Amino acid sequence: MNAHKPELKRVYLQPTPVRIWHWLNAFGIITLGISGAQIRFPEFISLFGSYKSAIMLHNTAGILVAVSFSFWFLYYTCIAHKMTHLYVPSKDDLKRGLVRQAMYYFFNYFRGGSNPHHPTPDSKFNPLQKSAYLLIMFILMPLVGLTGILLMNVAPLRDLVLLVGGLKILVGLHFLLSCALFAFLFTHVYLATLGRTPMAYVKPMWTGWEEEEAEGEGAEHQPSH
Amino acid sequence: MRRHLKRLFTGLMLLLMVPVAAAAMESADCLACHAEAGVVGADRLIDPTRFDNASHGVLGCSGCHASVTDAHPDDGLPASKAVCQDCHQNIGAEYAATGHAGNADCGDCHNPHTVRPSQEVSGAEMNGKCSSCHPAAEMASAHGVWLPQANLHLEMLPCISCHSGSENYVIVLYPSWRDPVSAPDGSARNNPLSLAGYAELKGLAGEQEISALIDVNGDGLITLAELKTFNAFPAYSSLRLKGMLTPEVVTHDLRILDNRWDCTFCHASGSGAMQTSVLALPMADGSYSRLPVEKGAILDALYGTPDFYMLGATRNASMNLLGLAIIAGGLVMPLGHGLLRFLTRKNRK
Repeated sequence: MNAHKPELKRVYLQPTPVRIWHWLNAFGIITLGISGAQIRFPEFISLFGSYKSAIMLHNTAGILVAVSFSFWFLYYTCIAHKMTHLYVPSKDDLKRGLVRQAMYYFFNYFRGGSNPHHPTPDSKFNPLQKSAYLLIMFILMPLVGLTGILLMNVAPLRDLVLLVGGLKILVGLHFLLSCALFAFLFTHVYLATLGRTPMAYVKPMWTGWEEEEAEGEGAEHQPSH
Repeated sequence: MRRHLKRLFTGLMLLLMVPVAAAAMESADCLACHAEAGVVGADRLIDPTRFDNASHGVLGCSGCHASVTDAHPDDGLPASKAVCQDCHQNIGAEYAATGHAGNADCGDCHNPHTVRPSQEVSGAEMNGKCSSCHPAAEMASAHGVWLPQANLHLEMLPCISCHSGSENYVIVLYPSWRDPVSAPDGSARNNPLSLAGYAELKGLAGEQEISALIDVNGDGLITLAELKTFNAFPAYSSLRLKGMLTPEVVTHDLRILDNRWDCTFCHASGSGAMQTSVLALPMADGSYSRLPVEKGAILDALYGTPDFYMLGATRNASMNLLGLAIIAGGLVMPLGHGLLRFLTRKNRK
Protein backbone atom coordinates (compact mmCIF):
# COMPACT_ATOMS: atom_id res chain seq x y z
CA MET A 1 0.00 0.00 0.00
CA ASN A 2 1.24 3.47 -0.82
CA ALA A 3 2.71 5.10 2.30
CA HIS A 4 0.98 8.42 1.59
CA LYS A 5 -2.39 6.87 1.32
CA PRO A 6 -4.35 6.48 4.55
CA GLU A 7 -5.00 2.95 5.75
CA LEU A 8 -8.39 1.66 4.80
CA LYS A 9 -10.68 -0.59 6.76
CA ARG A 10 -13.36 -2.64 5.09
CA VAL A 11 -16.90 -2.78 6.45
CA TYR A 12 -19.57 -5.15 5.19
CA LEU A 13 -22.31 -2.55 4.92
CA GLN A 14 -24.90 -3.75 2.45
CA PRO A 15 -26.13 -7.36 2.81
CA THR A 16 -27.10 -9.19 -0.41
CA PRO A 17 -30.91 -8.86 -0.08
CA VAL A 18 -30.55 -5.10 0.40
CA ARG A 19 -28.34 -4.80 -2.69
CA ILE A 20 -30.73 -6.82 -4.83
CA TRP A 21 -33.58 -4.71 -3.53
CA HIS A 22 -31.72 -1.47 -4.19
CA TRP A 23 -30.93 -2.23 -7.84
CA LEU A 24 -34.37 -3.65 -8.51
CA ASN A 25 -35.73 -0.40 -7.15
CA ALA A 26 -33.27 1.69 -9.13
CA PHE A 27 -34.06 0.11 -12.50
CA GLY A 28 -37.76 -0.14 -11.62
CA ILE A 29 -38.08 3.50 -10.60
CA ILE A 30 -36.15 4.82 -13.60
CA THR A 31 -38.34 2.68 -15.89
CA LEU A 32 -41.42 3.98 -14.09
CA GLY A 33 -40.27 7.56 -14.54
CA ILE A 34 -39.61 7.31 -18.26
CA SER A 35 -42.68 5.20 -19.07
CA GLY A 36 -44.75 7.50 -16.84
CA ALA A 37 -43.50 10.50 -18.81
CA GLN A 38 -44.53 8.76 -22.05
CA ILE A 39 -47.98 8.01 -20.61
CA ARG A 40 -48.48 11.65 -19.62
CA PHE A 41 -46.86 13.20 -22.70
CA PRO A 42 -47.47 10.66 -25.49
CA GLU A 43 -47.07 13.20 -28.28
CA PHE A 44 -43.55 14.10 -27.12
CA ILE A 45 -42.12 10.82 -25.79
CA SER A 46 -42.27 7.44 -27.49
CA LEU A 47 -39.20 5.74 -26.04
CA PHE A 48 -41.02 2.50 -25.28
CA GLY A 49 -42.88 2.24 -28.57
CA SER A 50 -46.64 2.20 -28.52
CA TYR A 51 -48.72 3.81 -25.79
CA LYS A 52 -49.94 0.39 -24.75
CA SER A 53 -46.35 -0.88 -24.36
CA ALA A 54 -45.60 2.09 -22.11
CA ILE A 55 -48.71 1.34 -20.01
CA MET A 56 -47.86 -2.36 -19.72
CA LEU A 57 -44.24 -1.59 -18.83
CA HIS A 58 -45.30 1.05 -16.29
CA ASN A 59 -47.74 -1.39 -14.68
CA THR A 60 -45.18 -4.22 -14.59
CA ALA A 61 -42.41 -2.02 -13.19
CA GLY A 62 -44.90 -0.61 -10.67
CA ILE A 63 -45.83 -4.08 -9.43
CA LEU A 64 -42.15 -5.06 -9.29
CA VAL A 65 -41.22 -2.01 -7.21
CA ALA A 66 -44.26 -2.48 -4.95
CA VAL A 67 -43.35 -6.14 -4.31
CA SER A 68 -39.71 -5.16 -3.84
CA PHE A 69 -40.80 -2.47 -1.36
CA SER A 70 -42.84 -5.05 0.56
CA PHE A 71 -39.82 -7.40 0.73
CA TRP A 72 -37.64 -4.52 1.96
CA PHE A 73 -40.19 -3.70 4.63
CA LEU A 74 -40.53 -7.32 5.75
CA TYR A 75 -36.77 -7.89 5.68
CA TYR A 76 -35.91 -4.94 7.90
CA THR A 77 -38.84 -5.25 10.28
CA CYS A 78 -39.25 -9.04 10.63
CA ILE A 79 -35.83 -10.51 9.76
CA ALA A 80 -33.17 -7.90 10.44
CA HIS A 81 -35.24 -6.12 13.14
CA LYS A 82 -33.45 -2.88 12.33
CA MET A 83 -36.13 -0.76 10.73
CA THR A 84 -36.57 1.73 13.58
CA HIS A 85 -32.89 1.80 14.45
CA LEU A 86 -31.78 2.48 10.89
CA TYR A 87 -34.48 4.80 9.64
CA VAL A 88 -35.86 6.74 12.62
CA PRO A 89 -33.64 9.61 13.82
CA SER A 90 -32.71 9.33 17.50
CA LYS A 91 -33.14 12.15 20.01
CA ASP A 92 -29.44 12.90 19.68
CA ASP A 93 -29.74 12.92 15.88
CA LEU A 94 -32.45 15.54 16.12
CA LYS A 95 -30.68 17.64 18.75
CA ARG A 96 -27.13 17.64 17.38
CA GLY A 97 -26.73 15.18 14.53
CA LEU A 98 -28.82 17.02 11.95
CA VAL A 99 -26.99 20.31 12.45
CA ARG A 100 -23.59 18.60 12.58
CA GLN A 101 -24.26 16.72 9.33
CA ALA A 102 -25.70 19.79 7.60
CA MET A 103 -22.65 21.80 8.70
CA TYR A 104 -20.42 19.15 7.13
CA TYR A 105 -22.29 19.03 3.81
CA PHE A 106 -22.74 22.75 3.40
CA PHE A 107 -19.59 24.12 5.07
CA ASN A 108 -16.89 21.76 6.32
CA TYR A 109 -16.95 19.62 3.20
CA PHE A 110 -15.79 22.57 1.12
CA ARG A 111 -12.99 23.27 3.63
CA GLY A 112 -11.72 19.71 3.31
CA GLY A 113 -13.17 18.49 6.63
CA SER A 114 -14.09 14.86 7.22
CA ASN A 115 -17.55 13.36 7.41
CA PRO A 116 -18.69 13.24 11.06
CA HIS A 117 -20.68 10.08 10.37
CA HIS A 118 -18.90 6.75 9.94
CA PRO A 119 -21.31 4.15 8.63
CA THR A 120 -21.53 0.79 10.35
CA PRO A 121 -24.00 -1.99 9.59
CA ASP A 122 -26.04 -0.87 12.60
CA SER A 123 -25.86 2.81 11.74
CA LYS A 124 -25.67 3.02 7.99
CA PHE A 125 -27.25 6.42 7.63
CA ASN A 126 -26.24 9.80 8.95
CA PRO A 127 -28.97 11.87 10.69
CA LEU A 128 -29.80 13.78 7.50
CA GLN A 129 -30.03 10.55 5.52
CA LYS A 130 -32.26 9.01 8.17
CA SER A 131 -34.66 11.96 8.03
CA ALA A 132 -34.72 12.00 4.24
CA TYR A 133 -35.21 8.22 3.94
CA LEU A 134 -37.91 8.32 6.60
CA LEU A 135 -39.85 10.73 4.43
CA ILE A 136 -39.07 8.88 1.19
CA MET A 137 -39.56 5.30 2.31
CA PHE A 138 -42.42 5.73 4.76
CA ILE A 139 -44.44 8.46 3.07
CA LEU A 140 -43.51 9.10 -0.57
CA MET A 141 -42.92 5.54 -1.79
CA PRO A 142 -46.05 4.04 -0.14
CA LEU A 143 -48.21 6.93 -1.38
CA VAL A 144 -46.92 6.72 -4.96
CA GLY A 145 -47.39 2.94 -4.84
CA LEU A 146 -50.89 3.03 -3.38
CA THR A 147 -52.12 5.74 -5.77
CA GLY A 148 -50.59 3.70 -8.60
CA ILE A 149 -52.39 0.53 -7.50
CA LEU A 150 -55.69 2.47 -7.41
CA LEU A 151 -55.02 3.91 -10.88
CA MET A 152 -54.36 0.42 -12.23
CA ASN A 153 -57.74 -0.74 -10.96
CA VAL A 154 -60.09 2.21 -11.28
CA ALA A 155 -63.27 0.24 -12.04
CA PRO A 156 -62.96 -2.47 -9.35
CA LEU A 157 -61.67 -0.01 -6.71
CA ARG A 158 -63.97 2.89 -7.65
CA ASP A 159 -65.24 3.36 -4.10
CA LEU A 160 -61.70 3.86 -2.86
CA VAL A 161 -61.01 6.25 -5.75
CA LEU A 162 -64.06 8.27 -4.74
CA LEU A 163 -62.92 8.19 -1.11
CA VAL A 164 -59.67 9.88 -2.15
CA GLY A 165 -61.76 12.57 -3.85
CA GLY A 166 -61.99 11.32 -7.42
CA LEU A 167 -59.81 10.25 -10.30
CA LYS A 168 -58.29 13.68 -10.89
CA ILE A 169 -57.08 14.10 -7.32
CA LEU A 170 -55.66 10.59 -7.49
CA VAL A 171 -53.84 11.26 -10.78
CA GLY A 172 -52.59 14.63 -9.46
CA LEU A 173 -51.26 13.02 -6.28
CA HIS A 174 -49.57 10.21 -8.20
CA PHE A 175 -47.95 12.66 -10.62
CA LEU A 176 -46.72 15.21 -8.07
CA LEU A 177 -45.49 12.61 -5.57
CA SER A 178 -43.63 10.86 -8.39
CA CYS A 179 -42.04 14.18 -9.34
CA ALA A 180 -40.98 14.60 -5.70
CA LEU A 181 -39.47 11.11 -5.77
CA PHE A 182 -37.50 12.04 -8.87
CA ALA A 183 -36.40 15.30 -7.32
CA PHE A 184 -34.98 13.22 -4.47
CA LEU A 185 -33.33 10.87 -6.96
CA PHE A 186 -31.07 13.62 -8.33
CA THR A 187 -29.93 14.53 -4.81
CA HIS A 188 -29.54 10.85 -3.93
CA VAL A 189 -27.28 10.15 -6.92
CA TYR A 190 -25.27 13.31 -6.33
CA LEU A 191 -24.73 12.59 -2.61
CA ALA A 192 -23.60 9.09 -3.55
CA THR A 193 -20.57 10.70 -5.22
CA LEU A 194 -19.48 12.62 -2.11
CA GLY A 195 -17.41 9.78 -0.66
CA ARG A 196 -13.63 9.45 -0.39
CA THR A 197 -13.71 8.90 -4.15
CA PRO A 198 -16.73 9.51 -6.41
CA MET A 199 -17.44 5.76 -6.47
CA ALA A 200 -16.66 5.07 -2.82
CA TYR A 201 -20.33 5.08 -1.79
CA VAL A 202 -21.57 3.44 -5.00
CA LYS A 203 -19.29 0.39 -4.81
CA PRO A 204 -20.67 -0.96 -1.51
CA MET A 205 -24.12 -1.09 -3.06
CA TRP A 206 -22.65 -3.47 -5.65
CA THR A 207 -20.15 -5.51 -3.58
CA GLY A 208 -21.52 -5.02 -0.08
CA TRP A 209 -18.15 -3.81 1.27
CA GLU A 210 -17.32 -0.21 2.02
CA GLU A 211 -13.76 0.98 2.40
CA GLU A 212 -13.19 3.90 4.68
CA GLU A 213 -10.23 5.55 6.27
CA ALA A 214 -9.27 3.63 9.43
CA GLU A 215 -9.12 5.54 12.68
CA GLY A 216 -6.57 3.48 14.47
CA GLU A 217 -7.96 -0.03 14.56
CA GLY A 218 -7.81 -0.74 10.78
CA ALA A 219 -9.72 -3.95 11.18
CA GLU A 220 -11.92 -5.79 8.73
CA HIS A 221 -15.39 -6.08 10.14
CA GLN A 222 -17.90 -8.72 9.07
CA PRO A 223 -21.07 -8.17 11.01
CA SER A 224 -23.83 -10.64 11.55
CA HIS A 225 -27.01 -9.16 10.09
CA MET B 1 -123.83 -1.98 -72.02
CA ARG B 2 -123.91 1.70 -71.16
CA ARG B 3 -125.64 0.82 -67.82
CA HIS B 4 -122.95 -1.78 -67.07
CA LEU B 5 -120.22 0.76 -67.72
CA LYS B 6 -121.94 3.27 -65.41
CA ARG B 7 -122.14 0.64 -62.63
CA LEU B 8 -118.47 -0.27 -63.12
CA PHE B 9 -117.43 3.42 -62.95
CA THR B 10 -119.44 3.96 -59.77
CA GLY B 11 -117.90 0.84 -58.21
CA LEU B 12 -114.37 1.96 -59.07
CA MET B 13 -115.05 5.41 -57.62
CA LEU B 14 -116.30 3.84 -54.39
CA LEU B 15 -113.21 1.62 -54.19
CA LEU B 16 -110.99 4.69 -54.59
CA MET B 17 -112.95 6.74 -52.08
CA VAL B 18 -112.90 4.18 -49.27
CA PRO B 19 -109.16 4.38 -48.50
CA VAL B 20 -109.21 8.18 -48.83
CA ALA B 21 -111.86 8.38 -46.12
CA ALA B 22 -110.15 5.70 -43.96
CA ALA B 23 -106.70 7.41 -44.09
CA ALA B 24 -108.12 10.09 -41.87
CA MET B 25 -107.53 7.83 -38.89
CA GLU B 26 -105.59 10.00 -36.47
CA SER B 27 -102.71 8.92 -34.22
CA ALA B 28 -104.92 9.78 -31.27
CA ASP B 29 -107.40 7.17 -32.46
CA CYS B 30 -104.65 4.58 -32.77
CA LEU B 31 -103.28 5.39 -29.32
CA ALA B 32 -106.74 5.16 -27.76
CA CYS B 33 -106.20 1.40 -27.98
CA HIS B 34 -102.43 1.03 -28.38
CA ALA B 35 -101.66 2.89 -25.17
CA GLU B 36 -103.64 0.28 -23.22
CA ALA B 37 -101.81 -2.97 -22.56
CA GLY B 38 -105.10 -4.58 -21.58
CA VAL B 39 -106.55 -3.88 -25.02
CA VAL B 40 -103.68 -4.62 -27.41
CA GLY B 41 -101.27 -6.66 -25.30
CA ALA B 42 -97.72 -5.82 -24.29
CA ASP B 43 -96.26 -6.48 -27.76
CA ARG B 44 -98.32 -3.76 -29.44
CA LEU B 45 -98.23 -1.29 -26.59
CA ILE B 46 -97.06 2.25 -27.42
CA ASP B 47 -96.07 4.86 -24.83
CA PRO B 48 -97.84 7.99 -26.18
CA THR B 49 -95.44 10.46 -24.52
CA ARG B 50 -92.34 8.69 -25.76
CA PHE B 51 -93.83 8.32 -29.26
CA ASP B 52 -94.78 12.01 -29.37
CA ASN B 53 -91.21 12.97 -28.46
CA ALA B 54 -89.57 10.36 -30.67
CA SER B 55 -88.00 11.31 -34.00
CA HIS B 56 -90.85 9.51 -35.79
CA GLY B 57 -93.59 11.15 -33.71
CA VAL B 58 -94.00 13.93 -36.25
CA LEU B 59 -94.97 11.36 -38.91
CA GLY B 60 -97.89 10.08 -36.87
CA CYS B 61 -98.92 6.41 -36.89
CA SER B 62 -100.05 6.51 -40.49
CA GLY B 63 -96.62 7.68 -41.60
CA CYS B 64 -95.40 4.10 -41.33
CA HIS B 65 -98.67 2.12 -41.08
CA ALA B 66 -100.40 3.57 -44.14
CA SER B 67 -102.74 0.66 -44.74
CA VAL B 68 -104.54 1.03 -41.41
CA THR B 69 -108.07 2.30 -41.86
CA ASP B 70 -110.90 3.27 -39.59
CA ALA B 71 -112.05 -0.30 -40.04
CA HIS B 72 -108.95 -1.53 -38.17
CA PRO B 73 -108.88 -4.00 -36.49
CA ASP B 74 -112.37 -5.23 -37.48
CA ASP B 75 -111.30 -5.57 -41.10
CA GLY B 76 -108.92 -8.31 -40.02
CA LEU B 77 -106.18 -6.91 -42.21
CA PRO B 78 -102.66 -6.77 -40.78
CA ALA B 79 -101.24 -3.26 -40.45
CA SER B 80 -98.65 -2.47 -43.08
CA LYS B 81 -95.20 -1.43 -41.92
CA ALA B 82 -92.94 0.99 -43.77
CA VAL B 83 -89.47 -0.24 -44.66
CA CYS B 84 -86.83 1.82 -42.83
CA GLN B 85 -84.76 2.18 -46.01
CA ASP B 86 -87.67 4.01 -47.70
CA CYS B 87 -86.54 7.08 -45.76
CA HIS B 88 -83.07 6.06 -44.58
CA GLN B 89 -81.56 4.84 -47.84
CA ASN B 90 -77.97 5.86 -47.13
CA ILE B 91 -77.91 4.45 -43.62
CA GLY B 92 -79.52 1.26 -44.93
CA ALA B 93 -76.88 0.85 -47.62
CA GLU B 94 -74.08 1.59 -45.15
CA TYR B 95 -75.43 -0.96 -42.67
CA ALA B 96 -76.15 -3.59 -45.33
CA ALA B 97 -72.43 -3.74 -46.10
CA THR B 98 -71.55 -4.74 -42.52
CA GLY B 99 -71.39 -8.15 -40.92
CA HIS B 100 -74.23 -7.16 -38.62
CA ALA B 101 -76.75 -6.85 -41.46
CA GLY B 102 -77.62 -10.52 -41.60
CA ASN B 103 -77.89 -10.82 -37.84
CA ALA B 104 -79.88 -7.81 -36.68
CA ASP B 105 -82.52 -5.70 -38.41
CA CYS B 106 -82.93 -1.98 -37.82
CA GLY B 107 -85.71 -2.66 -35.32
CA ASP B 108 -83.49 -4.92 -33.23
CA CYS B 109 -81.48 -1.89 -32.17
CA HIS B 110 -83.89 1.02 -32.81
CA ASN B 111 -87.45 0.91 -31.56
CA PRO B 112 -89.18 3.09 -34.19
CA HIS B 113 -91.74 4.25 -31.59
CA THR B 114 -89.11 5.64 -29.20
CA VAL B 115 -86.05 6.27 -31.38
CA ARG B 116 -84.29 9.61 -30.93
CA PRO B 117 -81.21 11.33 -32.29
CA SER B 118 -78.01 9.99 -30.73
CA GLN B 119 -77.48 13.27 -28.85
CA GLU B 120 -80.68 12.63 -26.91
CA VAL B 121 -79.71 9.12 -25.86
CA SER B 122 -77.35 8.22 -23.03
CA GLY B 123 -74.15 6.33 -23.82
CA ALA B 124 -75.31 3.62 -21.42
CA GLU B 125 -78.53 3.22 -23.44
CA MET B 126 -76.54 2.99 -26.68
CA ASN B 127 -74.44 0.23 -25.18
CA GLY B 128 -77.60 -1.47 -23.91
CA LYS B 129 -78.52 -2.13 -27.57
CA CYS B 130 -75.18 -3.82 -28.19
CA SER B 131 -75.22 -5.84 -24.99
CA SER B 132 -78.54 -7.45 -25.86
CA CYS B 133 -76.50 -9.62 -28.28
CA HIS B 134 -72.99 -9.06 -26.86
CA PRO B 135 -73.23 -9.55 -23.07
CA ALA B 136 -71.22 -6.95 -21.15
CA ALA B 137 -69.30 -9.50 -19.05
CA GLU B 138 -68.32 -11.47 -22.15
CA MET B 139 -67.19 -8.30 -23.89
CA ALA B 140 -65.15 -7.16 -20.87
CA SER B 141 -63.33 -10.47 -20.86
CA ALA B 142 -62.82 -10.46 -24.66
CA HIS B 143 -61.44 -6.89 -24.59
CA GLY B 144 -59.40 -7.64 -21.47
CA VAL B 145 -57.13 -9.89 -23.56
CA TRP B 146 -55.50 -6.83 -25.11
CA LEU B 147 -57.05 -3.70 -23.59
CA PRO B 148 -55.75 -2.51 -20.19
CA GLN B 149 -58.58 -1.79 -17.74
CA ALA B 150 -61.16 -3.17 -20.19
CA ASN B 151 -64.01 -2.75 -17.69
CA LEU B 152 -63.24 0.93 -17.31
CA HIS B 153 -63.01 1.47 -21.07
CA LEU B 154 -66.32 -0.26 -21.73
CA GLU B 155 -67.93 1.82 -19.02
CA MET B 156 -66.60 5.14 -20.34
CA LEU B 157 -67.16 4.58 -24.05
CA PRO B 158 -70.13 3.82 -26.25
CA CYS B 159 -69.21 0.72 -28.30
CA ILE B 160 -69.67 2.72 -31.51
CA SER B 161 -66.81 5.03 -30.51
CA CYS B 162 -64.41 2.29 -31.63
CA HIS B 163 -66.64 -0.04 -33.66
CA SER B 164 -67.84 2.41 -36.28
CA GLY B 165 -66.47 5.29 -38.29
CA SER B 166 -68.37 7.74 -36.09
CA GLU B 167 -66.69 11.12 -35.73
CA ASN B 168 -66.43 14.35 -33.75
CA TYR B 169 -65.93 13.07 -30.23
CA VAL B 170 -67.07 15.09 -27.25
CA ILE B 171 -67.05 14.30 -23.56
CA VAL B 172 -70.60 13.91 -22.34
CA LEU B 173 -71.18 14.30 -18.61
CA TYR B 174 -74.12 12.39 -17.16
CA PRO B 175 -75.27 12.87 -13.57
CA SER B 176 -74.93 9.59 -11.71
CA TRP B 177 -75.80 8.96 -8.13
CA ARG B 178 -75.91 6.51 -5.27
CA ASP B 179 -79.47 5.50 -4.57
CA PRO B 180 -79.99 6.35 -0.89
CA VAL B 181 -83.26 4.46 -0.57
CA SER B 182 -82.10 0.98 -1.40
CA ALA B 183 -79.25 0.95 1.12
CA PRO B 184 -80.19 -1.38 3.99
CA ASP B 185 -78.85 1.01 6.62
CA GLY B 186 -80.33 4.08 4.95
CA SER B 187 -76.87 5.29 4.01
CA ALA B 188 -76.17 6.36 0.46
CA ARG B 189 -72.48 5.55 0.60
CA ASN B 190 -72.50 1.86 -0.06
CA ASN B 191 -74.60 1.81 -3.19
CA PRO B 192 -72.90 1.62 -6.55
CA LEU B 193 -73.10 4.66 -8.79
CA SER B 194 -75.74 4.50 -11.50
CA LEU B 195 -77.14 7.04 -13.94
CA ALA B 196 -79.54 9.39 -12.17
CA GLY B 197 -83.00 9.56 -13.72
CA TYR B 198 -85.27 12.58 -14.07
CA ALA B 199 -87.26 11.77 -10.93
CA GLU B 200 -84.18 11.59 -8.72
CA LEU B 201 -82.80 14.89 -10.00
CA LYS B 202 -86.20 16.57 -9.83
CA GLY B 203 -86.41 15.46 -6.20
CA LEU B 204 -83.20 17.38 -5.51
CA ALA B 205 -84.11 20.38 -7.67
CA GLY B 206 -87.57 20.83 -6.11
CA GLU B 207 -89.56 23.57 -7.85
CA GLN B 208 -86.70 24.47 -10.17
CA GLU B 209 -85.75 22.87 -13.46
CA ILE B 210 -83.21 20.11 -12.94
CA SER B 211 -80.66 22.05 -14.99
CA ALA B 212 -80.61 24.57 -12.10
CA LEU B 213 -78.75 21.95 -10.04
CA ILE B 214 -75.65 22.85 -12.05
CA ASP B 215 -76.53 25.82 -14.26
CA VAL B 216 -76.90 28.15 -11.30
CA ASN B 217 -77.34 31.37 -13.29
CA GLY B 218 -79.68 29.71 -15.80
CA ASP B 219 -77.84 31.02 -18.87
CA GLY B 220 -77.77 27.62 -20.56
CA LEU B 221 -73.97 27.36 -20.37
CA ILE B 222 -72.20 25.31 -17.72
CA THR B 223 -69.10 27.18 -16.60
CA LEU B 224 -66.10 25.71 -14.81
CA ALA B 225 -67.09 27.73 -11.73
CA GLU B 226 -70.57 26.16 -11.79
CA LEU B 227 -69.06 22.69 -12.14
CA LYS B 228 -66.81 23.32 -9.15
CA THR B 229 -69.72 24.62 -7.08
CA PHE B 230 -71.83 21.60 -7.99
CA ASN B 231 -69.03 19.13 -7.22
CA ALA B 232 -68.33 20.72 -3.84
CA PHE B 233 -71.95 21.32 -2.75
CA PRO B 234 -72.63 19.10 0.30
CA ALA B 235 -76.34 18.59 -0.52
CA TYR B 236 -75.34 16.96 -3.83
CA SER B 237 -72.76 14.65 -2.30
CA SER B 238 -74.63 11.61 -3.62
CA LEU B 239 -74.31 12.95 -7.19
CA ARG B 240 -71.21 12.53 -9.37
CA LEU B 241 -70.78 13.53 -13.01
CA LYS B 242 -69.83 10.54 -15.10
CA GLY B 243 -68.03 11.30 -18.36
CA MET B 244 -68.20 9.31 -21.59
CA LEU B 245 -66.34 9.94 -24.84
CA THR B 246 -69.15 9.97 -27.39
CA PRO B 247 -69.22 10.66 -31.13
CA GLU B 248 -71.46 13.49 -32.33
CA VAL B 249 -71.73 12.12 -35.86
CA VAL B 250 -72.87 8.52 -35.67
CA THR B 251 -72.42 6.15 -38.59
CA HIS B 252 -73.71 2.61 -39.16
CA ASP B 253 -70.58 1.14 -40.74
CA LEU B 254 -70.09 -1.23 -37.83
CA ARG B 255 -66.54 -2.53 -38.01
CA ILE B 256 -63.28 -2.46 -36.12
CA LEU B 257 -61.20 0.46 -37.30
CA ASP B 258 -57.46 -0.12 -37.43
CA ASN B 259 -56.57 3.18 -35.81
CA ARG B 260 -58.62 2.29 -32.71
CA TRP B 261 -55.96 -0.31 -31.79
CA ASP B 262 -53.63 2.62 -31.30
CA CYS B 263 -54.31 3.98 -27.81
CA THR B 264 -53.14 7.45 -28.82
CA PHE B 265 -56.25 7.76 -31.00
CA CYS B 266 -57.87 8.88 -27.72
CA HIS B 267 -54.93 9.14 -25.32
CA ALA B 268 -53.08 12.03 -26.90
CA SER B 269 -53.25 15.68 -26.11
CA GLY B 270 -54.03 18.43 -28.53
CA SER B 271 -57.25 17.04 -29.95
CA GLY B 272 -60.02 19.60 -29.90
CA ALA B 273 -62.47 16.93 -28.79
CA MET B 274 -60.74 16.60 -25.45
CA GLN B 275 -61.67 20.16 -24.62
CA THR B 276 -65.28 20.00 -25.72
CA SER B 277 -67.77 18.67 -23.26
CA VAL B 278 -71.50 18.83 -22.72
CA LEU B 279 -73.77 18.10 -19.81
CA ALA B 280 -76.55 15.64 -20.62
CA LEU B 281 -79.57 15.83 -18.33
CA PRO B 282 -82.36 13.23 -18.28
CA MET B 283 -85.81 14.52 -19.24
CA ALA B 284 -89.19 13.34 -18.01
CA ASP B 285 -89.80 11.45 -21.27
CA GLY B 286 -86.62 9.38 -20.91
CA SER B 287 -84.60 11.38 -23.41
CA TYR B 288 -81.54 13.49 -22.64
CA SER B 289 -81.17 17.22 -23.12
CA ARG B 290 -77.72 18.72 -23.55
CA LEU B 291 -76.18 21.91 -22.22
CA PRO B 292 -72.79 23.10 -23.49
CA VAL B 293 -69.93 23.19 -20.98
CA GLU B 294 -67.27 25.90 -20.98
CA LYS B 295 -64.45 25.01 -23.37
CA GLY B 296 -61.52 23.38 -21.61
CA ALA B 297 -63.35 22.83 -18.30
CA ILE B 298 -62.54 19.15 -18.63
CA LEU B 299 -58.83 19.98 -18.32
CA ASP B 300 -59.20 21.57 -14.88
CA ALA B 301 -56.61 20.11 -12.50
CA LEU B 302 -58.88 18.75 -9.80
CA TYR B 303 -62.44 19.94 -9.34
CA GLY B 304 -64.11 20.61 -12.69
CA THR B 305 -64.80 16.98 -13.48
CA PRO B 306 -63.20 15.07 -10.58
CA ASP B 307 -64.18 11.66 -11.95
CA PHE B 308 -63.21 12.15 -15.57
CA TYR B 309 -59.58 11.89 -16.59
CA MET B 310 -58.09 10.48 -19.77
CA LEU B 311 -54.42 9.56 -19.55
CA GLY B 312 -52.31 11.62 -21.90
CA ALA B 313 -55.29 13.66 -23.05
CA THR B 314 -56.84 15.69 -20.25
CA ARG B 315 -53.70 16.63 -18.36
CA ASN B 316 -53.53 20.05 -16.77
CA ALA B 317 -50.84 22.54 -17.82
CA SER B 318 -50.44 24.10 -14.34
CA MET B 319 -50.00 20.65 -12.82
CA ASN B 320 -47.25 19.95 -15.39
CA LEU B 321 -45.46 23.17 -14.40
CA LEU B 322 -45.76 22.31 -10.71
CA GLY B 323 -44.29 18.87 -11.39
CA LEU B 324 -41.47 20.43 -13.38
CA ALA B 325 -40.77 22.89 -10.54
CA ILE B 326 -40.57 19.99 -8.04
CA ILE B 327 -38.14 18.07 -10.25
CA ALA B 328 -36.11 21.23 -10.88
CA GLY B 329 -36.04 21.74 -7.09
CA GLY B 330 -34.30 18.39 -6.84
CA LEU B 331 -31.54 19.69 -9.12
CA VAL B 332 -30.79 22.71 -6.93
CA MET B 333 -28.72 20.73 -4.43
CA PRO B 334 -26.62 18.78 -6.98
CA LEU B 335 -26.00 21.85 -9.13
CA GLY B 336 -25.34 24.34 -6.30
CA HIS B 337 -23.31 21.96 -4.15
CA GLY B 338 -21.55 20.59 -7.22
CA LEU B 339 -20.44 24.04 -8.28
CA LEU B 340 -19.04 24.86 -4.83
CA ARG B 341 -17.46 21.40 -4.73
CA PHE B 342 -15.68 22.13 -7.99
CA LEU B 343 -14.52 25.55 -6.86
CA THR B 344 -13.16 24.23 -3.55
CA ARG B 345 -11.67 20.99 -4.90
CA LYS B 346 -8.12 22.01 -3.84
CA ASN B 347 -9.14 21.98 -0.17
CA ARG B 348 -9.80 18.24 -0.32
CA LYS B 349 -6.49 17.15 -1.87
